[in-house]
Amino acid sequence: MTGILTASDVGKSYGSGDTRMAIIDGLNLSIAKGEFVSLVGPSGCGKTTLLMCLSGLLSPNLGKVGFKGQVVTAPPIGLSVVFQDYSRSLLPWKTNLDNVLFGMRRVTGMDAAQKKARALEILEAVGLPGFAGHYPWQVSGGMQQRVAIARGIASQSELLLLDEPLAAVDAQTRADMQDLLLDLAKRFDQTCVLVTHDVEEAVYMADRVLVLGPRPTRVVREIVVDLPKPRDQISTREAPAFLHARHEVMELIRSMRQGKALS
Amino acid sequence: MTRQTRIALWGLLVPLAILALWQVAAMLQRTPLFPGPGKVALAIWANYPVILRELGITLLRAVVGFGLAAVTMIPLGIFLGRVRVIGRVLEPLMDMLATLPPPAIIPLVMLFAGTGDGAKVVIIAYAAAVPLLMNTYEASHSIHPMLSRVARSLHLSRFETMRLIDLPSSLPMIATGARLAIASSLLVSVTSEMLLATNGIGTFLQRSQETFKIDAGLAGIAFISLAGIIVNAGVFRLEKNWLFWHYRDQRPAE
Ligand SMILES: Nc1ncnc2c1ncn2[C@@H]1O[C@H](COP(=O)(O)OP(=O)(O)O)[C@@H](O)[C@H]1O
Ligand SMILES: [Mg+2]
Repeated sequence: MTGILTASDVGKSYGSGDTRMAIIDGLNLSIAKGEFVSLVGPSGCGKTTLLMCLSGLLSPNLGKVGFKGQVVTAPPIGLSVVFQDYSRSLLPWKTNLDNVLFGMRRVTGMDAAQKKARALEILEAVGLPGFAGHYPWQVSGGMQQRVAIARGIASQSELLLLDEPLAAVDAQTRADMQDLLLDLAKRFDQTCVLVTHDVEEAVYMADRVLVLGPRPTRVVREIVVDLPKPRDQISTREAPAFLHARHEVMELIRSMRQGKALS
Repeated sequence: MTRQTRIALWGLLVPLAILALWQVAAMLQRTPLFPGPGKVALAIWANYPVILRELGITLLRAVVGFGLAAVTMIPLGIFLGRVRVIGRVLEPLMDMLATLPPPAIIPLVMLFAGTGDGAKVVIIAYAAAVPLLMNTYEASHSIHPMLSRVARSLHLSRFETMRLIDLPSSLPMIATGARLAIASSLLVSVTSEMLLATNGIGTFLQRSQETFKIDAGLAGIAFISLAGIIVNAGVFRLEKNWLFWHYRDQRPAE
């Protein structure tokens, strides 16, 4: 398989012996450079675990993860993660601005002043002008989540792994953030893998949606979203291709939930 | 008058009442072995240059001993917390040392280092080292795994992780250890002077007692308490300045 990010026959389990629990089993995927891919699946199926394996923060028990043709054994340069546990992932002794700057430590070709200007620009873009000097614990959960996103974007990594990055953001801001993420991904030429439990969001943002099965999870369906970009919050969501993709994903997830209820 | 100020006034009244009772009792006894607050006040006036000089010596040794412990034990604790294997191997040893009362090592240190400044500083450093090391290690090895993930995903080196993640996030517990270590340093500094009598406020207290200058001794004690209060106030200020993010009291905006 080629692609900026690949997973081949990945298996991951927690614990050992009697308490061993298989989370991922025989998972394959390939993400092409510049692509925006959404991952959806029933809750607890192992989405976060998969993202940790893809980022090199967890090593799979079986199979291989590859980033730009290299086998991933530790987080590679050029890959950034926006964690689901956004609140704990921000450093409480640093201001929001310094948290974003912390994500830019490996950015080259910019001096301190340029980095600061860029960080402020991104904080403004995520709708937090005037909160740069605040500490994460002084702002709401939704705002913390946007600081975490800003830190991820600011790293200027080629690949961004986002774990339910908009879960705590209120509905109106969420739509703005979706468009912002799409816009910035395009502007900085970032490849994105987005985990979300919001099917509409998954379809709206993605070039391709990968549906994950129940635990132990693997990719059970791939849905190519054949919609033009840039997307539009109103017209895209009314397009037949959007409704079609949404229908397919929702039906799949419902059938998985019912399967679980029966078993 | 609010409830708060009433309580504060009562708080002042209690020590004043004790002083008054003490004065009355002393006047009834009329012996130099039981001086009243008046006598002690006179002794403070007569002895304060000596007391301040001796107290200065004691505090200086406490500061040096504490400083030595802080610059070695905080980095060591962070290191042991991050490099778990070594930390776990050394845990039983640390637990054993933690239960040993610091003055117990005084005779041993005397044997090797004599009774001079060096010996005293070693004993103080040891006394301060234990709470500093224990608390730093405990904090650093219980850092939330999320922060380690952040460090790894930002490609921090091990050293950068210790300096930029482990140290700051351990600071609140290090501060608790430092409070214990400061109290312990002062205690051991004074105690070591009583046992290895040369100079310092501990020696001054010892001499005053041996020569039946109880009033001078009480004057010395008054200065030690004062020094303790000042040190505590200083520590409190530092904690407020450095750890405001831990004792966060602001509510979230929005
Ligand atoms: N460190 C861990 N040790 C043991 N079990 C875990 C651990 N992390 C997650 N799990 C379990 O693995 C399953 C999948 O978790 P996760 O990947 O977070 O799912 P998702 O992100 O899809 O909700 C859950 O049942 C969870 O309880
Ligand atoms: Mg998750």
